[in-house]
Amino acid sequence: MQGVIGAFSELDSTVHAIEELRKQNFNDIAVFSPTPRHELDEALAAKTSAVRRFTLVGGLLGVTFGYWVPIWISDYWPIVVGGKPIASWVPYTIIGFELMVLIGSLSTVFGMFALARLPRLTLTVGYDPRFSHGHFGVWVNAGPDRAPQAADVLRKMGAEEVRNER
Amino acid sequence: MATMAQPDGRRPNVPSAGNRLPAIENYEQVDREIIGTLKPTLGWFALLGGAILALLIGAGSWTYQIHEGLGAAGYHPPVMWGVYIISFVFWVGIGHAGTLISAILYLFRAGFRTTIYRASEAMTVFAVMTAGLFPILHLGRPWKFFWLIPYPNWRLIWPNPKSPLVWDVFAILTYLTVSATFFYIGLIPDIAVLRDQETNPIRKRIFATLALGWRNSDTEWRHFTRAYLFLAAFATPLVLSVHSVVSFDFAMSLVPGWHATIFPPYFVAGAIFSGIGMVFTIIIPIRKFMKLEHYVTINDLDAAAKLCLFTSCVVGLAYLTEFQVAWMSGNRVEQEYFWNRVFGQWAWAAWIMLICNMVLPISLFSQKLRRNTTWLFILSLFINLGMWFERFVIVVPSLSHEFEPWQWGGYRPTWVDFGILLGSFGWFFMWFLLFIRQLPVMAIAEIKEILPPKMKHSHDRTHDLDAVTIDPTLTSGGH
Repeated sequence: MQGVIGAFSELDSTVHAIEELRKQNFNDIAVFSPTPRHELDEALAAKTSAVRRFTLVGGLLGVTFGYWVPIWISDYWPIVVGGKPIASWVPYTIIGFELMVLIGSLSTVFGMFALARLPRLTLTVGYDPRFSHGHFGVWVNAGPDRAPQAADVLRKMGAEEVRNER
Repeated sequence: MATMAQPDGRRPNVPSAGNRLPAIENYEQVDREIIGTLKPTLGWFALLGGAILALLIGAGSWTYQIHEGLGAAGYHPPVMWGVYIISFVFWVGIGHAGTLISAILYLFRAGFRTTIYRASEAMTVFAVMTAGLFPILHLGRPWKFFWLIPYPNWRLIWPNPKSPLVWDVFAILTYLTVSATFFYIGLIPDIAVLRDQETNPIRKRIFATLALGWRNSDTEWRHFTRAYLFLAAFATPLVLSVHSVVSFDFAMSLVPGWHATIFPPYFVAGAIFSGIGMVFTIIIPIRKFMKLEHYVTINDLDAAAKLCLFTSCVVGLAYLTEFQVAWMSGNRVEQEYFWNRVFGQWAWAAWIMLICNMVLPISLFSQKLRRNTTWLFILSLFINLGMWFERFVIVVPSLSHEFEPWQWGGYRPTWVDFGILLGSFGWFFMWFLLFIRQLPVMAIAEIKEILPPKMKHSHDRTHDLDAVTIDPTLTSGGH
């Protein structure tokens, strides 16, 4: 990966830098920030996370499995109590609910890991410990032809440090 | 629910709603002060030693009980559930406030949770780990506890899914897994901060592994905040369901005092009340001895104390409703049981419960006392005591005073019971003490989210959604 990284200490400069870069058709931008800020998401025009799909599918699988287990057990080893259904859905709702929460939560976490590409063994090129401390970082993916232009934008917008990475 | 006044219709930062930390100036200060709490002190070692000693006493008592049989634990017909089930319900209950603070208050956008939720969440995980031991401890053959889990086995035997004890297994295991996951996911960005600041290579390597390569990118934050929201949304009904299921252990039976439809909400309210008591017990010393008073401000404690007062009122109402239901039921067994509870054999325990849980928390109507940390700490100890006795009053008097007079009896815990109870406190505090010196006791990333970020142009507030405040005129959704 080739590109330019700029470190900012102010949020507004970071947002303005992203807006300016996007205006100049730099669309492969990553931003590092010590805390989530909606301002950055909006400047990047980021799409809503798809984690919710994992949550929905996991929850539905969980609740189905949660009803299936006790129904199967009751059917396999019937405990016949006069006039009562062998598989009674009312108490099984508890197990259905618990497994919906369990599998739904775990698939949410799985979805987050898959979408955010975690766990990762190496930190990406350009990452700087300052970005978890107090600085904002803007990474622009650009080849040698456009890198100087991106570096100029970052500097002009108030980056404290601009580095070419390869 | 409060509506956010948004001039441009944009979303506010969730944890910032209604909370300010004026004594904290910038992100660097947060890192410095919270990471600064991770250095072990002599006092910490002494407390950890005490906790491990208590745990060893518990382990010794359990070993003796396994050798001698359950009779060593003071079980005598008709009281075959005692200190272990009481402690199980007590510890599960303690866990509930942590999830309330970390998940439910997150969904409700209560700002005061931000600085106390990490410690409360850790409390939840360790309390549920403690609670999970008790059903195993009270088995005659504890090594066969896994028979309760439905897994394919060569005996072709399956647990009965209509039994409340099997529901308990599902509820507690789900609760433990989900709360531990929620806790760890929330910790990842903070562990990344530790990784980036750490100088010791071994610790740095450990933090790097635990941080899973987190690098604070916009993609990571976007999926993280979404996943966190959904986990909170799952944890919210879960926390209500878990103690409801625990209450079914009692309410599904026909035993007088237990056979009541009020049990699920009564248990849930009691759980949250007891948990908030424990939150005060741990957070007040933490903010004092770790010098974090400017993070957990007196306003935050005041808000938590109001929650404590509210849940105390709910619990008090449940106590009184039980008496009223017994009185109006026309059921003599039920009436005799409740009479015996307050004026008979178990009056001493019932009055400890009523005074600690109903009477003393009334003091929290006074703002002066809500803002007095010494009083809050003392009160929290009474609440812990009172809530343990609440479960005593639920479990023991019912079993000792069932339908037929020849069934009536007494109960006296032995040193084995007390040893194991002490051991459970040792186990809980051992984990908690290890946690507070290894991992940040407050959520660094979320505290940074509350702080106004550094701006180049201080007058330019268009990108600072913290400038947006709750407009009280918009709270009612129109007039």
